[in-house]
Amino acid sequence: MSRLHPFTLLAIAGALPALAWILAAPVGGGWTATVALALTLTPGASPRVTSTGSSPGWRTGLVVLRTAVLTVAPFWLFLLLLHDVPTTIAIGLRITTMVASFVWLVAYLLAATLSAVPLLKARAQRIVEAQRCRGLSPRGGIGARLRALRALALPLVLSALHEVDERALALETRGLVPGIRRTPLAPPPDPAVERAVRWVLLLACLFALVRRFVVPGFS
Amino acid sequence: MSIRLLALIPVAAAISLALSAAVDAVALPLFLDTTGTILATALAGPAVGIATGVMTSAVNTLRNPTFWPFVVVQIIVALYAWLAARAGLFRSLRTAVPAGLGLGVIASVTSTPISYFVFGCTTTGGIALATALGRALGLPPLGACFFGSFLSDFGDKAVTFALVTSVLHGLPRRTAARFPWALRAIGAA
Repeated sequence: MSRLHPFTLLAIAGALPALAWILAAPVGGGWTATVALALTLTPGASPRVTSTGSSPGWRTGLVVLRTAVLTVAPFWLFLLLLHDVPTTIAIGLRITTMVASFVWLVAYLLAATLSAVPLLKARAQRIVEAQRCRGLSPRGGIGARLRALRALALPLVLSALHEVDERALALETRGLVPGIRRTPLAPPPDPAVERAVRWVLLLACLFALVRRFVVPGFS
Repeated sequence: MSIRLLALIPVAAAISLALSAAVDAVALPLFLDTTGTILATALAGPAVGIATGVMTSAVNTLRNPTFWPFVVVQIIVALYAWLAARAGLFRSLRTAVPAGLGLGVIASVTSTPISYFVFGCTTTGGIALATALGRALGLPPLGACFFGSFLSDFGDKAVTFALVTSVLHGLPRRTAARFPWALRAIGAA
């Protein structure tokens, strides 16, 4: 799985949830959920594997599968509490597909997504503790809590905005200037088969969408 | 799009995510997950705001996949914030809070059909409980769904608008001048 081109991973993770919602329930959702859960077992689906580069084996896949199942379990419980069994199965299978697809997509996206989130969360925690040291209580009435929220949010947001210039300078230093095409040192291989697979997935989604709305009785 | 505005997008998305996690410290029933979207729009216009909203939803989706269909709400929030910034509604809390309340109504009207038709009104815990309360009060399914969304969005968006207004007024003038819409949003240009 980790040997696939990132765009192929993205296409699979996008197409499976799309098909889960487009295809008729519960069969369509059942198939997509099965495929998505099977993909969580695929060696190489875990972020830890891509970082170490070692042979993953099936144990890592089982960990990803367990994460997917545990993540999706509360949704099934909520659905069962609020709906009848056919609706629960129809929506539950689709949500299972989404969860399972995104759980292993993390392997690709975590590398590219926001590094700022954990930094800001840690900073928010430090601000909360600093404000408590200065005697600001987050308890009491709504007015007191809103004042505490303002005392937390303002320094956090203002300090984050001051970082924008630093980040912009860092990006310019690395050559990210509009109009200039970047040349990666080691671009990931993108074989013709994977390009074809991406097109097939896109066409499958379009075909399923057209069939859903055009063919009578297909719902 | 300039590099500075490009750098603003992940920072603003991170602000939304960090604030929605940090709000637990004051134990208020708020999400604040659109703070970065509204702030980015007020600073840099609708394109940056929409990109921030989409980025926020994408990262939230990694934690909870049911967030993704609600990306539409983030886009509506960005467009509304742009109109508010153009009208100078961030110039004081007296104009910002009513604007935020208006956004709360629009956001709940937008999120209700998504929640109802996509998830059968079963999304995250708090909203699902509010929806169950609406049903217990005898509302029809769609009405209970709107009731849950309205309860969660109405106050949240007003507080978010007030926070963004405080931030915009707290920004040093030199920093604000680096963003194309900041001064106009607070009525200083």
